[in-house]
Amino acid sequence: MNIPNLNLFKKINKPGARIIPEKKDYGMKFFLPENLTEDELLKMLVRLPQSAYKLPEDQGIVLDFGKRACSKRLILHMINSIVWVKNIKIFAWLSENEESLKLFKSAGLSMDEEFILESFKKAEEKKSQDFPEIQEEIIKAPETKISALKVVYNSMRSGQRIETEGDVVVWGNLNHGAEIIAGGSIIIAGRLLGVIHAGGYGREDVFVWAGCFETPQVRIANKLCYADPKSTTCWRKSVLITLEDHKPVIRENKFITHN
Amino acid sequence: MAARVIVTTSGKGGVGKTTSTANIAAALARFGKKVVAVDADVGLRNLDVIMGLENRVVYNFIDVIEKTCKLNQALVKDKRVPGLYLLPAAQTRTKDAVNPEQMVALCEELKPEFDFVLLDCPAGIEGGFKNAAAGAEEALVVTTPEIPSVRDADRIIGMLESMGKSPIRLIINRLRPNMVQDGDMLAKDDILDVLSIDLIGVVPEDESVIRATNNGEPMTMSLDSPAAHAYLNIAERILGHDVPLMDLESYASRSFISKIKRFFMGKRKNRS
Repeated sequence: MNIPNLNLFKKINKPGARIIPEKKDYGMKFFLPENLTEDELLKMLVRLPQSAYKLPEDQGIVLDFGKRACSKRLILHMINSIVWVKNIKIFAWLSENEESLKLFKSAGLSMDEEFILESFKKAEEKKSQDFPEIQEEIIKAPETKISALKVVYNSMRSGQRIETEGDVVVWGNLNHGAEIIAGGSIIIAGRLLGVIHAGGYGREDVFVWAGCFETPQVRIANKLCYADPKSTTCWRKSVLITLEDHKPVIRENKFITHN
Repeated sequence: MAARVIVTTSGKGGVGKTTSTANIAAALARFGKKVVAVDADVGLRNLDVIMGLENRVVYNFIDVIEKTCKLNQALVKDKRVPGLYLLPAAQTRTKDAVNPEQMVALCEELKPEFDFVLLDCPAGIEGGFKNAAAGAEEALVVTTPEIPSVRDADRIIGMLESMGKSPIRLIINRLRPNMVQDGDMLAKDDILDVLSIDLIGVVPEDESVIRATNNGEPMTMSLDSPAAHAYLNIAERILGHDVPLMDLESYASRSFISKIKRFFMGKRKNRS
């Protein structure tokens, strides 16, 4: 995680007037400057960029006020203007000042950083002991069953048919009367005149790419699409056909680079 | 002598397989080759009619296969062209009367006697086609410039390729240059783009084909029509000669001028 430069409050030229962040297992620990007034501290916290508070969902922040004697007003403003507005999770409020600690306690705020650290450690250990196979699965996820690719190195003629669970590449034309049913995606390098069914067993994350689109019918997953030569703008052009929000979308391959 | 065995096929009916077989056979015979045209369309024989040999048919090739007669008894010699023979089909039998092995054996029997064996294949992709194609080494695929015909030709080419026939060459029949120019008919290049095989010839639409068919005289015997020239060129290409494709557009315009001439000449004759 990137730790942002927190020394943004340039108007405050007091020595030591900066928030010092520290990476922890539970997220971040902010050491707040002691030599600023409460208003100056609030302004500094408000002006911190959102990225400074951005942490993974299960992580949070611990605020360390040092020897500062915090007032009720400061705590209220911090909760109102920072915690709730910026949607921050504060795990603990730490202080070396007796008055401040009493105030935190009376407000019911957590003050035990050690407890938080311990609970995070235990949670991590438990996760690795109880669910090692889950980690294994997460690592393996991108490699799950890659279907066999079938490549046809010539044109497919009328009456010829391919049915496969994987992807199909035809390095030629798919003539009228030829048929391909693929569980995966289909690429026709030449003219697409015949019948194709990509995602033939229900998969929707598939596509059809054709060098020259000339077929009146395309089937993707459970969708059947008709193309009229007169009204289809992509007719006899190179196209990519996909399913988006369960609807077939046909795009002409223009390959224009935008500057 | 070991003949080249060539099957003429198309998939779709009515595109000119039988006409092409008869005319190419007659043209090859004109070039001095000994040719037999075999009508493999059992039950629907027509090759004998187109070649004008209908009256002389006694036996057919099923009789040869079933040993009812000898091969020489079934062969019909065309007396107009030396070296041209017909082996007719049975009209009263069905395509089940023969199997591919028997056709191969028949072709093997014909091979030593001839330079060319041309097999006229029935329409369709079933038994009749498989029987006819079984004995052949080469193929001529006939198509007209119509989408259904091209599609069926594509199917047949796929089957011929899978049977290992080579070379497979294309005849585009009944092409009308005027319609192609107007964009109402598939052009030669459109067809070749889909079928992706070598073109051996383009035969223009020609009234003389109907006349020749009804008269029972192959056009290549007289050579007074564009279609006759086209078939002769195809025969030459089969023989391995380098013959350029006909300029069909000039033929079309020439026939238009001759029509006008005939119109005025006819009027003069009527006046006199």
